[in-house]
Amino acid sequence: MGDKTGEKKDVWQGTLALMVLKTLQSMGSLHGYGIARRIEQTSGDLLLVNYGTLYPALLKLEQEGYISSEWGFSDNNRKAKYYKLTRAGRKQLNKEEREWEQTTAILARFLAPGEERS
Amino acid sequence: MRRLRAWFSRLGEMFGRRRRERELAAEMESHLQLHIEDNLRAGMTAQAARREALLKFGGLEQIKESYRERRGLPLLEGWLRDFHFTSRVLRKNPGFTCIVVFTLALGIGANTAIFSVLESQLWRPLPFPDPERLVDVHVVLRKNPRQWDVITSSIYRAWAEQNHTFSSLGAYNFPSPRNLTAEGRSERVQVMQLTSSTFKTLDVPLERGRIFLPEEETTGRDHVAILSHALWRTRFASDTNITGKPITIDGELYFVVGIAPPRLRFEYLPEPAIFVPLALDPAAKVMRGIYMIGRLGPGVSVEGARTELDDILQRQPQAEGGKQEDLAAVSNLRVTWTEYSERPLYFFAGAILLVLLIACVNNAGLLLARGLARQREFALRAALGASRSILIRQSLAESVLLSVAGGTAGTMLGIWGSGVFGGFWSEDTLPRQTETSLDGRVLLFVLGVSIFSALFMGILPALFSSRVDVNETLRKGARGLSAGRSQLQIRSLLVAVEVCLALVLLFGAGLFLSSFVREEQAPRGFDAPGAVTFRIALRGEKYAQPDQQIRYFRSLTDQIRSLPGVQEVTLGSSIPLDGSPLFDSVNVAGRPPRGKHGTGVIVYSVEPNFLQALHIHLLAGRALEPHDTRTAPRVALINRNAARTLFGSEDPVGKILEYVADKRRDVPAEAPVQIVGVTENTQEFGPSEVPFDVIYVPFSQKPDRGASIVVSSNLPRGALLGAIRDAAYSLDKDQPLFDVKTVDQLIGESLRGSQFDLILIGCLAAVALALVSVGIFGTVAYFVQQRTQEFGIRLALGATRGHVLRQAIGRAYTMGVVGLAFGVAVALALGRILGSALYLVPHEHSGMLYGVKIYDPASMTVACILLLAILFLAGFVPARRAMRVDPMVALRYE
Repeated sequence: MGDKTGEKKDVWQGTLALMVLKTLQSMGSLHGYGIARRIEQTSGDLLLVNYGTLYPALLKLEQEGYISSEWGFSDNNRKAKYYKLTRAGRKQLNKEEREWEQTTAILARFLAPGEERS
Repeated sequence: MRRLRAWFSRLGEMFGRRRRERELAAEMESHLQLHIEDNLRAGMTAQAARREALLKFGGLEQIKESYRERRGLPLLEGWLRDFHFTSRVLRKNPGFTCIVVFTLALGIGANTAIFSVLESQLWRPLPFPDPERLVDVHVVLRKNPRQWDVITSSIYRAWAEQNHTFSSLGAYNFPSPRNLTAEGRSERVQVMQLTSSTFKTLDVPLERGRIFLPEEETTGRDHVAILSHALWRTRFASDTNITGKPITIDGELYFVVGIAPPRLRFEYLPEPAIFVPLALDPAAKVMRGIYMIGRLGPGVSVEGARTELDDILQRQPQAEGGKQEDLAAVSNLRVTWTEYSERPLYFFAGAILLVLLIACVNNAGLLLARGLARQREFALRAALGASRSILIRQSLAESVLLSVAGGTAGTMLGIWGSGVFGGFWSEDTLPRQTETSLDGRVLLFVLGVSIFSALFMGILPALFSSRVDVNETLRKGARGLSAGRSQLQIRSLLVAVEVCLALVLLFGAGLFLSSFVREEQAPRGFDAPGAVTFRIALRGEKYAQPDQQIRYFRSLTDQIRSLPGVQEVTLGSSIPLDGSPLFDSVNVAGRPPRGKHGTGVIVYSVEPNFLQALHIHLLAGRALEPHDTRTAPRVALINRNAARTLFGSEDPVGKILEYVADKRRDVPAEAPVQIVGVTENTQEFGPSEVPFDVIYVPFSQKPDRGASIVVSSNLPRGALLGAIRDAAYSLDKDQPLFDVKTVDQLIGESLRGSQFDLILIGCLAAVALALVSVGIFGTVAYFVQQRTQEFGIRLALGATRGHVLRQAIGRAYTMGVVGLAFGVAVALALGRILGSALYLVPHEHSGMLYGVKIYDPASMTVACILLLAILFLAGFVPARRAMRVDPMVALRYE
């Protein structure tokens, strides 16, 4: 297990919130475990979600009003806390997506010519 | 916005902790179960599925903890928990808590009181719109800018017409008491002359009616009046039809044209009841010594305005009031009228702050001792992972809580105390008639002082008790001898600081005490035990002629003399200490005058028995006699001081004095007088005055409208006054009696300011002494308790009890004496620095101390001895316990 996690990267600082919001946008409502799983799967198992970061992040998003939570039942009839996007969360997600795209575009422009030259 | 929202929901999350904890646990549990189910679906065995899920999950408690840090407001919760815990601890130690809270309440209360006095007297803006644009306009002597000169009406006119820097300029005279007669009753009220532009300058519209018209500000047409709101309400029952009605002021008819609003209060002047026009037109007689008030135009600085006025003043031709020796002066109105009381107020504020500091130092010592008692607890916390900042936080919580309690109690004390200050100080020291109030500024101040006290007394103990050596403390058990040593050093240092501060206060109190004793014992030069005095000021055309004045007063004194039980009646234009003497200037005939305006003297016009009735000693020559009548040669007595000033060692009897004509007021000189005798000096205003030159002349030769009458009798005061009032009423009902007092009261009032100063600083010194003794007692007691075991061993090994005692007290005494030495140095240095800054020693009649040097050796010695005695006693009592230690008991502690 040790060497396996060694290859995986922890989620970068500040991007977890965006990933959570995006995940909830595509999946509708989902519980904490599901969100973690989904993020790891989407990253092609390259990322490792730390639960000690995930749950406080969920709480923070909820406090800020971007997501809301309620208790529901899983497919197996297990009780779990489900999170879903609020309207404010959707707006925030759009904003953050745009910003992120901009950032990556800028970075890409920096990196691209360098590759050509080398 | 989002942050605020988050903050609010976190605030909400501080409640319902238990439910939230349950939910968190349930969420974690469901997470785990979901993971296990997934693993089972992937084909793992039940055991492997569970194991993998748990491994992936990691430390449950860590996750929960990081979750909790995000939930609610952990910092605030921590503080709340600390406070909760601390308040429980404090409740369990009522003795400690009471002492700390009580001393803090005392310190904070006294500071609150003095702050509210400072606020209401010095700092609060005057009650007019945009008050900081209001300035006092005056002229000062070029060679001594602290000396005001008189403003004449022509200067006022020049300034008012030519300036561009003021939005408005007004002129007024100080209110003076005059007789108001309306609806058949007469009384004395304060009447103020002012220009209508003064109302504009102050920018307060009238309640009803109108201000004076321009033509009413000319001589002869100025018999109109504006009533103060209070007079209108009380005397005229808020009569809405009052405008246009006549009232009589000093026998002359005035018509009411308006009512002033209730908030028109000058605060720094005697409250006027009636406003009448101040006629300054060119046709009017030249007025001298008027006051001016101005409102600076927008964007104009005080200096800019001053420069312009000065230009106008210098351009003004000599004949029209221009004076080369004068400079124009413009200064903030509020500051101008409150400046003189700044010094005494700041002085006492400083003394009061000192008391708070002593209380804080004292409490720091107590907290330090408590910190030691809790050292094991702190070590345990540290061992369990509490960081140093958390330990400091917890110690500070204690001092903060104590300060809050002390501050709350102190605020109540302060409200009461500011009333006491105001009541005692009223007329003499306090320049403004304002109410002290518990407003936001005062509360903010209390908060500030409380926080300051908390930090000041708490930071040292907090730093100390948080610095625990976990290993040592836990191993050694309850008694930490090595920690005790450094603690003891700190506590001894605190004792030294306390003693030092207390000595400064005590020395100050000693100065005031010896000053007061000297004031009380200073020869007054006159005396009339039990005698009653009152004043009458004749007003109206009926008494314009000297003969009429003499006749009125003669019949009044005759009638009073004929009352049964009256022993002596005398009369003078004023009497010593009654605050209304007449001033004049004289020169010795045939000699060059001293100075431009001659020698300033106080003139008493008195009945022949005046000296006898007031027990003023005649030193040479003869007293005034009944045959010194209006037609007889004019005579005078002079006091010893005047004899020395005017004649040195020569014999003044027989010499002639000439009055100097007062050109400034167009008063012609009176006929010269021949000196027939010399009297002892008397106090004219109070003990701290520079002696005045005084002359006494027969009332019949220099009568006056105003006079003080002194009556000694064996009648009860009420009955006597009733009879006198009846007599006065039957003579002329329009002439009220005022300033009714006993001569002893006059004397008491002349000492009242110093008496209050003494009481105040005496109380402060007493509190400081009490605090210091508590501090020393605590330190020595603590030391003895720490070393009980050691003393037991020493005694068992044959040390004498005296030796042990010396050891027990030794350090506290040494530190006390060191503190004392520092205190002496600080007190002397402060005296040197503050002595002249605060006018502690008399300068120009306004000193706070009388006849003592700022380094008065007697006060210093007494202060030192007193503190040493306290030091010795407070140390000795607990130290005796060290001697009584039973070696067996002490050793069994082990």
